Parts: sequence; C-alpha cells; structure tokens
Amino acid sequence: MKFVDEFRDADLGRVLAGQIVATVEPGRHYKVMEVCGGHTHTIYKYGVDDLLPANVELVHGPGCPVCVIPMGRVDDAIAVARRPEVIFTCFGDMLRVPGSGGTLLDAKAEGADVRMVYSPLDALRIAKQNPDSDIVFFAIGFETTAPSTALTLLRARAEGVANFLCFCNHVTIVPPLRALLESPDLRLDGFIGPGHVSTVVGARPFEFIPKDYGKPIVISGFEPLDLLQSVYMVLRQLAESRCEVENQYTRVVPYDGNPRALEALAEVFELRPHFEWRGLGFISQSGLKLAPAFQAFDAELRYPVPGIRVADPKACQCGEVLKGVIKPWECKVFGTACTPERPIGTCMVSSEGACAAYYNYGRFARERQVV
Amino acid sequence: MNPTSREPVCRTDPGCITCSDQGMVMRVAEIRGEDGFAACTDAAGALSEVQIDLVEPVNVGDSLLVHAGVALVHLGQAEAGS
Repeated sequence: MKFVDEFRDADLGRVLAGQIVATVEPGRHYKVMEVCGGHTHTIYKYGVDDLLPANVELVHGPGCPVCVIPMGRVDDAIAVARRPEVIFTCFGDMLRVPGSGGTLLDAKAEGADVRMVYSPLDALRIAKQNPDSDIVFFAIGFETTAPSTALTLLRARAEGVANFLCFCNHVTIVPPLRALLESPDLRLDGFIGPGHVSTVVGARPFEFIPKDYGKPIVISGFEPLDLLQSVYMVLRQLAESRCEVENQYTRVVPYDGNPRALEALAEVFELRPHFEWRGLGFISQSGLKLAPAFQAFDAELRYPVPGIRVADPKACQCGEVLKGVIKPWECKVFGTACTPERPIGTCMVSSEGACAAYYNYGRFARERQVV
Repeated sequence: MNPTSREPVCRTDPGCITCSDQGMVMRVAEIRGEDGFAACTDAAGALSEVQIDLVEPVNVGDSLLVHAGVALVHLGQAEAGS
C-alpha cells in the first residue's frame, strides 16, 4: 500500500542502520526520547532498537493517551457511567483501564450502560437514537483526537442534540515535554517528535526545545524506516553541534499544521489551569475543558463527580515508565501480576503503552539474549 | 488469549482506533453529499464513514490520514493500482 510498503524496506533499513553507526561517537551514550506511543509500538513491533548501536538508547515518552489518564479520572468516569439516565461511550482501551474500584468494563458487567465507540461521531449517533437518555462521551487523547471531539460538539450544537455530553480529558503535548525537560531525573540528548499530533499543531510549537533547552527534535512518521531515519537525523544534528526542529515526516506534516483543526479546537476548548497526568503529576495548562459556549455539553458540569486524586497502586511503576526513568521490564510486576490481559497500570493496557508494546514484541528478543 | 502469543492484544496494521490514537491512511471511495462525510476504505478494504470537513475539497481515490473518524491530512491523489 502506498505510504506503507516503501517504508518497511529491509535493505534501506540496513543502509540507515549503517549510517547511524557511522554517525555516533564511540564512548558517548545517547538517550533519545520517542514522545509518541505510536512510535514506541513501531520500535518494539519491528525491532527498530535491535538495529541501533548499544550506545544509542531509545527512551519511551508520555505520548500514549490512555496511559497518562490518572486513576481519579477513571473513577469519575465510572461514577458518571453508573447513573441510570446515562449511556456512557468511550474508545475500547479505556474500558480496561483500572480505577480504584475497578474498570468501566466491571461497571458494565454490574449493569451500567457502557458502550465502545470508534469515534465521538458514533456517540452522537447513539444520542440521536436515544433521545430519552444522556449520552456521555469519554474524550481522551492529544491534539490528534481532540479535533474529532471538537467537530462532534460543533455538529451537536448545530443539530440541537441536547442529550450529547462530553467528559473531557483531552491533553496537549507541549506542557509535559517541558515538564520532562525540567525534570532532574532524566538527561536526554534529543527527541523524536510526535508525527500525528504535528499534523494538527504543526512543527512550530516544538521550537522551544532547541531554543530554550538546546536539544534537537525530529518529527517522525510511524513506519520502521521513518523511525530509523529520524534517529539518524537526531544523531546527525548532535554530531554537527546543531539543535533545531527537523521534519522527517514531510509527506504528512505541514510546518503550520492544520489551521482548520486548530480553529475548531480554539472555538470548542479552553485550557484548564492544571491537569493531573499519571506519573507526571499536575501540569499547568496541559489539559482542555469545554469553552463557556459549550458548557451545556459538559458532563462535569451536569453531574457531580468525585474529583478525588487517587494514588497509583504501590506495585505499579507506570509513572517511572512514562517519564522514561525505568524500562518496562524493570517494573516489579511487569509480565507477572501485570499483563495485557489483567493490567494493573495503564502502560499495559493500550497497545501504544510501553509495557504492552514490550510485552507483545520486545520481550522475545530480550529473552533470546538472556538465554 | 495465550499469554505467550506474539500477537498484540489490539492489532494495529496500519492502525486501530480502538486504541484511540492510531492514525490510518484511508482512501476516499464515495463523497456523501453536503454533510461533510465520505465513505473511505482502509488497507484491508473495510469501509467506514469519515468526516472530511478539515481537509476539503477531496475527490474519490484521494488518500487521507484519519484519526478517530476525522480526516486530518489530505495526502493527495492515490496512484492508480496502489
């Protein structure tokens, strides 16, 4: 398929791997963070890290939208879902994310009307088909899924669908990157920037990384050759003592993003003063809520929600994994008490989560090495 | 599911929106009137409805990058037979 096959070519992959080896300084250890969970998934699925020299380490970042939702917000979602007048809709993976008292799937088993949807537009359709119920959509994700929620809310308002509500948990990518760069736990040499978030926001919002922190960032596509080329571009910047925003994913990402999507986001949402991220804590102006003009659609204003901050289970180290401080296999419960079938932490739930990606693919290569 | 299986819990070739944040390249199969939707096919040929407001104008055969039912990027006219 166009845009896919040509970016999985093994011969080209070997050429890029050779260029990477020729670019690194022997004796120097490089830490490059891939921000997006989609990149983490590709790296493990295709064994991209197996092609890198031992002194180039890929660190997994906080860009999996399911993984960063804190337990307290899941509890809030379940409280709304249990209301008799509510049909609660969400993406599939959020059904399995544990709150302090179970998951949305558990709530469904106990009688709550919880339904999986593929897009908020599906939820709007359910709202039109069920005028006597309130249909709440659990909105999560970065700037890639936020436009979908925004367009749905604009459509709901235009069509007068008053029983469609949004439990908004959308987040933005730049504040957590700044928080990571300020973190004393982590020394990073550069970033692989999120490809699909950048289709919306463009490359400009990442300019602070080279300007304020002196680190290179390369916006990358999601195929294995995209990732290899992006790692090479980061290393080449370091070798040439440059730091700038480069765009490897030019076939998809325009430098200025999608202005129509940004306009829709600006109309429908506004920034929250603070939002809690799993593992990263509260980050200023990192979450979105509905703008005053859309308050009639805001589930948090319609229903009381507990709004209690819940600490992660003690055994779970998703926080450290999300900050790139530890690798998935270094977590005490990885692959034993915590598996994709019975996840304790969010990173094991979504296929984009570092733990699930490593569990599904990476551990086999590691097991071979250990044996 | 067998815990030793190499298959992921959620397939993502090339994308799975149940994971909520996977983009998919889709091809426009039919433009649905004036309401901002198009019927699009994914790599496996499955048909779904996609909102195209953010990337209009589009034509049948064009490739789009789609997230959660909304096209975010117009990738251009697909090559014949690709």
